[in-house]
Amino acid sequence: MNDAAIWDIGSLKLSPEVVCSMAINSLRQRIGRAVLTLLTISTATAFMMYLLTMPRSEDPVDQQSWRLMMVLSLLVSGAGVLNTMLMSVTQRYREIGTMKCLGALDTFILFSVLLEAAILGLAGAFAGAIFGLIISILLALADHGTALFSAMQIDGLPGKFIFVFVVGMLLTTLGALFPAFIASKMPPMDAMRGEK
Amino acid sequence: MNKPSDTPTSPPDTRNASLANASSIDDAVEYTVMTRDVVKIYRMGETEVRALDGVDVTIRTGEYISIMGPSGSGKTTLFNAIGGLSKPTSGNVFIDEIDVAQLDANELAWLRCRKIGYIFQSYNIVKVMTALENVTLPMLFGGVPPDEAQDRAVEILKRVGLGDRLLHTPKELSGGQQQRVAIARAFANQPAIILADEPTANLDIHTGEEIIELMKEMNRERGVTVICSTHDHKMLDISDRIIWMRDGKVQRIARRDEVEIEINTMKEKH
Repeated sequence: MNDAAIWDIGSLKLSPEVVCSMAINSLRQRIGRAVLTLLTISTATAFMMYLLTMPRSEDPVDQQSWRLMMVLSLLVSGAGVLNTMLMSVTQRYREIGTMKCLGALDTFILFSVLLEAAILGLAGAFAGAIFGLIISILLALADHGTALFSAMQIDGLPGKFIFVFVVGMLLTTLGALFPAFIASKMPPMDAMRGEK
Repeated sequence: MNKPSDTPTSPPDTRNASLANASSIDDAVEYTVMTRDVVKIYRMGETEVRALDGVDVTIRTGEYISIMGPSGSGKTTLFNAIGGLSKPTSGNVFIDEIDVAQLDANELAWLRCRKIGYIFQSYNIVKVMTALENVTLPMLFGGVPPDEAQDRAVEILKRVGLGDRLLHTPKELSGGQQQRVAIARAFANQPAIILADEPTANLDIHTGEEIIELMKEMNRERGVTVICSTHDHKMLDISDRIIWMRDGKVQRIARRDEVEIEINTMKEKH
C-alpha cells in the first residue's frame, strides 16, 4: 500500500565541505573538551615517539618494560578518548535528536562524531609526535651532551614519525567508535517530553 | 465547552475505499493528515497501557488545529505518531496520502526533513550555530544547494523579523527570538505540516502573543497545515478547529466558531 513513487524521495546528503565545517565549528564551540581530548592523544603519541627515539639502553629488561609502558599508555589514552567523546555525545542528546528531526540519518550522526574525533586525532597525533621528538632530544642532550645524536635511535625517523602518527589516529578513531554508535542510535526528539 | 461527543466531525467512514476514490463532496477537499484507527500500546512491565485507543482524525490542507488534553490523554502519543517519531501499534497515519507507519528509517528521515516542520517548547535550535546556519541546515539536508539555501534562509528570517540578527547565536537571542528562528527553520523546507509542541509555554504573555500571531500569518500566507498542542487560550482563539483528547481517544472536535473561549478572565463564584 506504500506508494513511495508519489513522493520523490531523494537521498539526504551534505557536501563534504559543509560536514567538515560543521565538525570544526562544533569543536571550536566546545574548545575546552576538545583540548582535553587533544592532550590525551598528544601525551600518548609523544611518549611513543620518545620511546622510539631515545638512546638505546643495554639492559633488555629495561627495553621490555618501556615497551610495556608504551602499550599501557596507549590503552589509557584510548580509554581517555572514549570517555571524553562519550561525555560529549551524551551531553548533546538534544542537539542530536533535533538534527534527526531535521532529516539527519543515523549514518550522518555516526559519521559526524567520528569526523570530530578524527580531526582531534590528526591534530593531537601530529603535535604529540613533534613534542615527543623534542622531549627525546632534550633528555638525550642532558645525558649525552653534544654526542646526543649518535646516542639516539634516529634511524628511519620519517618512518617512525608516520608510524606514531597513524597509531595516534587509529587510537582516536577506535576510542570514538562506541560513542559514535550511541549517538547514532539516539531517538529523534519526542515532540513532547515528560508525557506518555 | 464541555460536551463530550463520540463522533468527530470528519467525512464518512471510507475504510474500504482507497483515498483516491472520494465518494462525497467532503472527500474531494484536500486532506493533508488522516489517521485511521490508530492504536498505540506500551508495555510497562506486566501491564499494557493503551496510549491511543483507536484515533480517527482528518485534517485539511491549510488548517490550523489545536490539540488539547490532560496528561495521559494520548495527546503526546498522537503527536509523535503524526510526526513520524514513533510507529503506532496498529492503524494508519497518512500524510499526503503516504502511510508513514510503513516507512523505513531512511524514508522517515526524508519525511521529517521535507514534509514536516517541528517547533518545540524549548526551541531546540542548535546552540553552536548562528540563526542563519540554523535555518539553512534542514535545507542542506534536503539537498538544496548552499547558495540557494542561504538566500532562502535570509528571506525567511527577514519575514519573521530577524533580518538584523542573522549572524547571532542563540546565546545572543532572547527566548522569543529563538522561537522565531525555530519557526523560520520549520517553514524553511516548505513542509506539508508544521507540528508545534506548546510553542508559547516558555514565553511571557506578550512574546507568546507575537509568536502566535506570526504562526497564524505564516499559516495563512503559505497555506501550510499547522497542528499545535497547547494550553494557551490565545492559540485556541486563532485555530480553525480544536481537538480534545481523553484516555487515548478523541473526545471532541469542534470548529472555532462553535466554541466560546475565555481569555484571562475569572468569574466570581456565586
